[in-house]
Amino acid sequence: MGIIRGPAVSSASMPTTPATSADRPPVNRDVPLVRRQALDGAYVLLTFRHPEVAAGARAGQFVMIKASTVSDPILRRPFSIMSVDGPESTFTLFLKVVGPGSRALAELRPGEAAGCLGPLGRPFTAPPEGHEAVCVAGGYGIAPFVLFGDELRRARRRSRVFYGGRSAGDLQLRDPFAALEAPLACATEDGSFGHHGRVTEAVEAYLDTRPGPATLYACGPDAMLHAVARLAEKRGLPAQVSLDPWMGCGVGTCLGCVVWIRRDHESRPKYRCACTEGPVFDAREVVWA
Amino acid sequence: MKLAVELGGLRLKNPLIAASGTFGYGVEYEGILDLSTLGGIVSKGLYLEARDGCAVPRIVETPSGLLNAIGLQGVGIRAFVRDVLPRLARYDTAVIVNVCGDTVEEYAEVARIADAPGVAALEVNISCPNVKKGGIAFGGDARMTHEVVSAVRKATRLPVIPKLSPNVADVTVFARVCEEAGADAISCINTLLGLAIDVERRVPRLAFGTGGLSGPAIRPIAVRMAWQAARAVRIPVIGVGGITGAEDALEFLVAGCRAVQVGTANFVDPGIYSRILDGLQSYLQRHRLETIADVVGSLRFPEAEAPGEPRT
Repeated sequence: MGIIRGPAVSSASMPTTPATSADRPPVNRDVPLVRRQALDGAYVLLTFRHPEVAAGARAGQFVMIKASTVSDPILRRPFSIMSVDGPESTFTLFLKVVGPGSRALAELRPGEAAGCLGPLGRPFTAPPEGHEAVCVAGGYGIAPFVLFGDELRRARRRSRVFYGGRSAGDLQLRDPFAALEAPLACATEDGSFGHHGRVTEAVEAYLDTRPGPATLYACGPDAMLHAVARLAEKRGLPAQVSLDPWMGCGVGTCLGCVVWIRRDHESRPKYRCACTEGPVFDAREVVWA
Repeated sequence: MKLAVELGGLRLKNPLIAASGTFGYGVEYEGILDLSTLGGIVSKGLYLEARDGCAVPRIVETPSGLLNAIGLQGVGIRAFVRDVLPRLARYDTAVIVNVCGDTVEEYAEVARIADAPGVAALEVNISCPNVKKGGIAFGGDARMTHEVVSAVRKATRLPVIPKLSPNVADVTVFARVCEEAGADAISCINTLLGLAIDVERRVPRLAFGTGGLSGPAIRPIAVRMAWQAARAVRIPVIGVGGITGAEDALEFLVAGCRAVQVGTANFVDPGIYSRILDGLQSYLQRHRLETIADVVGSLRFPEAEAPGEPRT
């Protein structure tokens, strides 16, 4: 079934059918856990079989997923797709256990299932010709940049990744970037690994040394996203930020994940669903809290 | 046809309806599931004009439930009729418009505009707990309930289905008032007024303050109220509250509801309708029943009087 888009109206946002890269609708199915790899701390890599996500997901898109082994909490949770494996029909999530929903997922055993809808949301878009993609990640916000790095490498585009966290233990997803031929720079607030300080300081220092054009991409805590948006504005660089508001349904019906967004032609911002009109937004459109 | 039901002039191919506020305008689920699977779809609440709704956070999870204060963000009735209705026309499902208003006049005007080709019935929202005017301000007052339902009744030829609030002392009073005012059926119940508190910051967890509680946490209350309402009036009752599977839907049907609405569970699993329909079919087979109507009101209640059950 094709996607039918409603005409744009000037009042509160009209419903938009969940967007995927190839205009393929998301698919709802039970997905068995194929592999589980515990990392240090509360981090874990989970691989699920989902042919449509494996075939169609783009970097920045997400799935709504919940372990079928538990009934409470009742809602699925949104997670960025970290990577896909077409031949194996699987996708992998990188997640940190932060509450009962993520804990139930992290405790799944291979063969056990989760209910999953995806791929969802609008992905990152490639930088303009000649731009380097400068990716800025905070904590588990690193996940989409593995898939993005893969897309950029296939497109023969230059990219680099800045990865920040409170301490070295928060930087659990460094290995994939070696294979992606994307330079990785780390920063920790306690100085235990890489640059001692905020990751955005490391980004600024890099941009100070660089003559060429760049597009910034960011995924992480709101304060970091806002800092990247300010940095991009100051330097006149385009930036795409992946917002992570509380999300209930993933398809634009619960209206829980709305964010104030103002598009160029609009006189006032509107509440827009991060799940269907994002999670990736042009940083200039976001009305920061 | 075993699952077909009739609700005060509204014919549904099966008793499963998507509840207002949990299924958008229906079109959001195009491509995810076949909308023709559903007996009906109730739209998100619609006023005359578009609305921004409440500030965020708008939703928090509580044990087996969801507390929300969305505040009826929506596109307005005209945009719905112009842009959404044509897209829903290709599906074999009953489209029910949830009618809202700040005033009695606004309810009537929205109802007039909603009486458009492709709309099967109107649900009257007199029970939203998350708006300052209208909503529960009308549904919590028997006189106002009568006034709003009468006004909508006069404004349309379509079946009129008020949605009752559980935040009242005796739901049967309101069910009877709706029947007297000319309602064709009633939906029972809307969310329960709740409050969740962030104890570290000592503020409500929702920006609006209080919110409406939904999900499995409220199901026994909803079943009890729908049962009471079904015994109090002759018009059909549509049961709503915490349905997550066929057994839950059957509770409402056995209690006397002619149809049910699925709400919060839409957020959890869009595949729920085919799952419930399969469950209803196998229940009919297992109990050797011809149609779903044979289930409706089949509750065998203990001889002793039910506590709190008003004499009729």
